[in-house]
Amino acid sequence: MDAARKGIVVLPFEVLKRALLQPEASSLLMFFVLFGITAILQENFFEAKSIVRTINSFAPLILLAMGQAIVIISGGIDLSSGAALSLLTCVLTTVMKKDDPITGVYALILAFLVALGTGVVNGLGIGYLRIPPVIVTFATSYAWLGIALFLRPTPGGESVPWFRVFYNMRVVEGVPEVLKSLGNYVPPALLLIVGACVLWYIVSRTRTGRYIYAVGSNIESAYVSGINTGKTQMLACVLNAVLIFLAALFFVGQNQTGDARMGGPLTLRSIAAVVVGGIALSGGRGSVYLAIVGALILGFVGRIIFFANVPNAYQTLVSGIIVIAAIAGPAYATLRRELR
Amino acid sequence: METFLKKTFPWYGWLLGSWFPVQYRKAFTILFLTVLLYAGGGVVVPGFLTLEQILLTLKLAAFIALFGLCQMIVIVAGGGGLDLSVGYTATLTAVLTASIMDGRNAYLGIALLVALVLGLLVGFANGVLTSYLKLPPLVVTLAMADILQGIVNAYVAGKAITGRPSPVLVTLAAKLTGVFPNILFVLIPVAVLAILVFERTKWGQVLFGVGANERTAYLCGIDVKKVRFLTFVASGVLASLIGLLLLGNMGIAFKDMGSNYVMPSIAAVVVGGVPLAGGGGSYFGVILGSIFLQALTNLLTALGLGDAGKWLGFGIILFAMLSVYAGNRRSR
Repeated sequence: MDAARKGIVVLPFEVLKRALLQPEASSLLMFFVLFGITAILQENFFEAKSIVRTINSFAPLILLAMGQAIVIISGGIDLSSGAALSLLTCVLTTVMKKDDPITGVYALILAFLVALGTGVVNGLGIGYLRIPPVIVTFATSYAWLGIALFLRPTPGGESVPWFRVFYNMRVVEGVPEVLKSLGNYVPPALLLIVGACVLWYIVSRTRTGRYIYAVGSNIESAYVSGINTGKTQMLACVLNAVLIFLAALFFVGQNQTGDARMGGPLTLRSIAAVVVGGIALSGGRGSVYLAIVGALILGFVGRIIFFANVPNAYQTLVSGIIVIAAIAGPAYATLRRELR
Repeated sequence: METFLKKTFPWYGWLLGSWFPVQYRKAFTILFLTVLLYAGGGVVVPGFLTLEQILLTLKLAAFIALFGLCQMIVIVAGGGGLDLSVGYTATLTAVLTASIMDGRNAYLGIALLVALVLGLLVGFANGVLTSYLKLPPLVVTLAMADILQGIVNAYVAGKAITGRPSPVLVTLAAKLTGVFPNILFVLIPVAVLAILVFERTKWGQVLFGVGANERTAYLCGIDVKKVRFLTFVASGVLASLIGLLLLGNMGIAFKDMGSNYVMPSIAAVVVGGVPLAGGGGSYFGVILGSIFLQALTNLLTALGLGDAGKWLGFGIILFAMLSVYAGNRRSR
């Protein structure tokens, strides 16, 4: 009887503990806790203006993290995403001329093609040449950096005024009044993120979406099951490139400049967001939307550090420690369970 | 690459006849490419093919080769090992020890001690996280790089980095004896020692065995986790000591002094013919790989392409070498 009573008392705890050990649950819990802390610390957190600002500051990382998640789920990893983002901003600002609105269209087309090119090269290395993804994207990251430096040795460049629609619709002439008032509550950054989600939703409902998971979870079985693994991994890389392209649109809309080195730190942060979101680095498991949660967690942590009056210089240090903690925690728990 | 060279230069196959040790074939190929690069450079850029220029290349390549040793130790042990934190460890050591030494030889001992402790700490952390907690080395060492850079940023925030290296370090790393750079007197013994350890001792056998097939190594009674853990410790300590030499060469410490060596160190290992899956390769090849990359950098700089050309060139070379060496098409 004693044991039975004990069982009744212990069981909920056990269930809770098991649930929390699931990566998805723990990342969602972490998200709500951090969300709460930030909301308490920041007085005007729920005002429309403040929400828009929050979304804007998190948008590039969210887009990059989603792309990273797709590649990681397909069994790869992309160390070149930050460099590709920088390259695209450089391409956009080099093609565009301030006084000639039509150059914006050319820039969009060219940058989109360049983005596809970066995805195809990565996909070629990972999917077809079967080079370890870590090292092939490490190599391409330097190739992108090199090209970006050719185009723009120092940060700068110009952009057509209408490119600001990707950042703030109100400041652009010729945008209908309806859209402008909508922009007060729904910033373009949010539309880009929703667009990315819709894109992934459509892909994940197709055969390709299931192939991406299959290839990531066991490439040998996927191959012998008749899946074209090379093509699947290539598609994952191209999807990633499209999301990076969206992030580049936002960045240029916001800053009107290109910078060959701005994206570098975002690479690790995007991987960190994926890990913190609870997606397995070994591939094949987790949801791409969890990467958004991961990116938000990292963003809120940055906010809290800011409010805690920690100097800017400590930001890199803290984010590094968070990444280690986020991946070491679950691994330590697994190890303990195995040893028992 | 070998087949390509054999087809293009008929006597190349004769050069690599049966008398030539197998493990040095890739090294010989890269040596050949370096010579080609120099010949081409000598034609295009006047003054590229002088003794001073070559010795300068060797001096700069020595640092890449030393970082390449850290990288090779980790990579050879297999398991997707890779240490992206080497350059940052070196930076932190240099920044910390510069203010300790401040141009005095008397404090070199303390600086060495600090470097050792720091290297051990970083290596220990990397090793435990990757080997015992089974986390991907890439992410761990990348995050570790962030942490180290973060410490440097926090340490130097709002103030100038003070201090100079001790004269001994300057002599060792920056000065020349005649036309001969002193750093080679460091690199050559290190290289001989490394090659002897890799190829002639039990430790080397264990290291290559673990990298070649961890299951077999485990069944032979080797503690695979411990070996991989120790490779990260060795890499951390070495990187930290290289930080002292780097400080000696530069004369001052600054925020990004080591981080520029991370990419070349990996590229040198790949170009030098060390398989990324582990269990093979020779340090001799890595040294030649470093020389090749440095010569390429010099050539691109001489052609006025600067940083952009350097990184683009490195990226393309690395990609090309990877698709020749590391590609895995036939198993499909």
